Amino acid sequence: MLAYVLKRTGAAIATLVAASIVIFIFIHLIPGDPIYVMLGDEATPEQVEALRTRLGLDRPLYVQYFYWAGNVLQGDLGTSIFFQEPVTVIIRDGAETSLLLACVTMVWIVALGVPVGVLAAIRQGTWVDQGLSGIAMLLASIPTFWVGLYLILIFAAHLGWLPSSGYPSIFEDGGLSNLRYLLLPSLTLAAPNAALILRLTRASMLDVAKEDYVRTARSKGIRPYRVVVRHILRNALLAVVSAFGFTFAALISEAVVTETVFALPGIGRMVVQSILRRDYPVIQGVILVIVCLYLVINLLVDISYRYLDPRVDLE
Amino acid sequence: MRHSLRNLLSGAALALLAGLAPVTGASADTLRYATIGEPPSLDVHMGTATIAATIGQHMFETLYAFDSTYEPQPLLASGETLEDDGRTIVMTLRQGVKFHNGKELTAEDVVASLKRWGEHGARGKLLMANAVSVEATGPYEVTLKLSEPNGAWKSMLAFPNGGPVIYPSEIVTAAGGDPIASENYVGTGPFMFKEWRGNRHVELVKFDDYVGVDAPADGYAGARLAEVDAIRFIPVPDVGTRVSGVQAGDYDYAEFISGDLYGVLKDDASVKIHLSGAPIFGLMFMNSKEGPLADNFELRRAIHTALNKEEALRVSVGEEALWKANGSFYPEGNIWYTEAGTEAYSVGDPEKAKAMAEAAGYDGTPIKLLVSTNYKTHFDQATVFTRQLADAGINVQMVVVDWATLLKKRAQPDQWDMFVTHHGNIPDPILLTALNDSYPGWWATPEKAALKAKFTGTSDLDVRREAWSELQALIYEQVPTIKVGDVYSYNIASPSLKGLGETTLIWPHFWGISK
Repeated sequence: MLAYVLKRTGAAIATLVAASIVIFIFIHLIPGDPIYVMLGDEATPEQVEALRTRLGLDRPLYVQYFYWAGNVLQGDLGTSIFFQEPVTVIIRDGAETSLLLACVTMVWIVALGVPVGVLAAIRQGTWVDQGLSGIAMLLASIPTFWVGLYLILIFAAHLGWLPSSGYPSIFEDGGLSNLRYLLLPSLTLAAPNAALILRLTRASMLDVAKEDYVRTARSKGIRPYRVVVRHILRNALLAVVSAFGFTFAALISEAVVTETVFALPGIGRMVVQSILRRDYPVIQGVILVIVCLYLVINLLVDISYRYLDPRVDLE
Repeated sequence: MRHSLRNLLSGAALALLAGLAPVTGASADTLRYATIGEPPSLDVHMGTATIAATIGQHMFETLYAFDSTYEPQPLLASGETLEDDGRTIVMTLRQGVKFHNGKELTAEDVVASLKRWGEHGARGKLLMANAVSVEATGPYEVTLKLSEPNGAWKSMLAFPNGGPVIYPSEIVTAAGGDPIASENYVGTGPFMFKEWRGNRHVELVKFDDYVGVDAPADGYAGARLAEVDAIRFIPVPDVGTRVSGVQAGDYDYAEFISGDLYGVLKDDASVKIHLSGAPIFGLMFMNSKEGPLADNFELRRAIHTALNKEEALRVSVGEEALWKANGSFYPEGNIWYTEAGTEAYSVGDPEKAKAMAEAAGYDGTPIKLLVSTNYKTHFDQATVFTRQLADAGINVQMVVVDWATLLKKRAQPDQWDMFVTHHGNIPDPILLTALNDSYPGWWATPEKAALKAKFTGTSDLDVRREAWSELQALIYEQVPTIKVGDVYSYNIASPSLKGLGETTLIWPHFWGISK
């Protein structure tokens, strides 16, 4: 196991270095310039060049890369051109929102997707199965922004039960009750993902249910509940857990629409705003962190296979 | 361990349930303003972003401020005398005015701020390029000497967007040409900077030691009384969320609401419409430096003749109450309103345009129209114009990019022939970007220079109005830019806000407003 983890960590570092070069080059290849965004309409070419020099953006790209990479190795992701704040502080601020949003969303996904998927599988072919599959298809098809706006309209504007948008930190006034700001966004984000997990759970359950050992278990007279839970679900979860890992990582990086609709200060929205403003250090820092997250989650998912299925040989 | 986890989870659930009460907001005395985005910087000298001016005017003050008729009135200044035919301006300052750091405002601060603005500021060159000197001639007296009289000097000193707000001298001296860092956002305004949390909010709090003008509030001039404890500017990019947020009571004010919602919201009792009293207008600039339009005024006039502005405004804005096909660069009733040249404003005659283009020697060379998708109205107007020009046989190729790319490309004369942008209302025509020779488009003909000299060379309003009238006619003749039409944007407010009035002057302001 240790050898496997070390091997994978080495591969992850190589991936990270390659990703950092690609990120850096692609971001600087995008046309546009933060200086023009900062100085606005009436800046003269001299003013633009002067500020570019002061921010070090006039140096050759490879020099900028090595300067940035050297600082990254020391834990310094740079300073935002616009906020004049360390990128690590900006990421830390946004990460709380994004991670909590992803966690609450995962709770919805697991709580709704898995049991309903199991129910659809054990009622295969009945109206229950068809109804649930139809709802799943609908949820997976409706655009996220549409779901979000209607949830705001109903639960915030009309009923006044929940806040319409924003998210004050749980470390500020309000404490844990500030999590209510994430209820509507997490439901919005969970809808399509829960539908996919539902369909995956159902399909995986049906595949496993056809296995010989399940038939054997049934012929031995084991109660149907135990067959489903002990023999089918546990093995079916292998594929589902793998999907959980990637879904969680995707919730961090793909929540940008939900974060925009609900005005959440997450890192997805931060990176899009930074791209629009060409705030290079923030874009580079955030994407690098997201790549790291993907690599770590990938590794954890692989390791978890070993515990879910003893047949898996990590070596 | 298991017990503590259970306790934590049940605590979280209880806290969540407790939160399921109607939302009342963080503080009753904090005014929450939902903005379309965040400013690139709040260093007002260095940029011209509307959002920076909207927020900045609460913290930073200028020597003069516009009243409700756009007439500059003393703000940090108490008065002035002109000498040497207006070449020497001696301004006296109000005494006892405090900065947010407790220091008293003196002439040194004004001199340092004006020098920095003149050297590095977004609009500073407009006035300070002709400054011979700016000096403190007393603790509360500043003397500005110009090489030529400039009739617009007071308007330039009063315009806070990219304008000469006054910072403490030590801050501007240390900053030089670098943007001022947020910990140094120190001004003399009725609100002071508290924090800027990226993607969350900019928060200003009431400045208890504010010393205002002893005169009734009038536009941006007069008394500026902070009646709320704090203002929070919260970026809410989605317009639907901004509207629902005000309806739900989560925000007190929301800006830039889309025209298609106007019909519904004007009858909605849960919000109050706050119309802009000053229209913004779309502009399509021509490249005067390079390409087929560089010096071919006849071809430019052919292009202009092909355009039907009503059609473009209807498509891009929609609701008819929110736009006006007005050829004058100022709305009717404004002291600068003139109809000079406007007969060419919206001809919309493709056959005539085709004949004019042929006479101008147009050979079908593609004309690159640079436009951004960040502003939907820009893109819609460009799309309508491209079709109208195709009807006149003029071959336009739209180059569609995002705003940051457009800003960079338009600085490169070989990248475009026309580009679409918009312009905010300006109290004095000298602030019109087309009159700035170095603004992309680079319109700098001798005729323009002569009229501009006539316009700025006197303080006599009648002479200046006459010169502006001739300048507007010249714009229609040489077509450095094409005005699309007036668009009246609107914001919405909670009906509980008091003192807001029916319209904004230019940007909404929140001194004198309570909730």
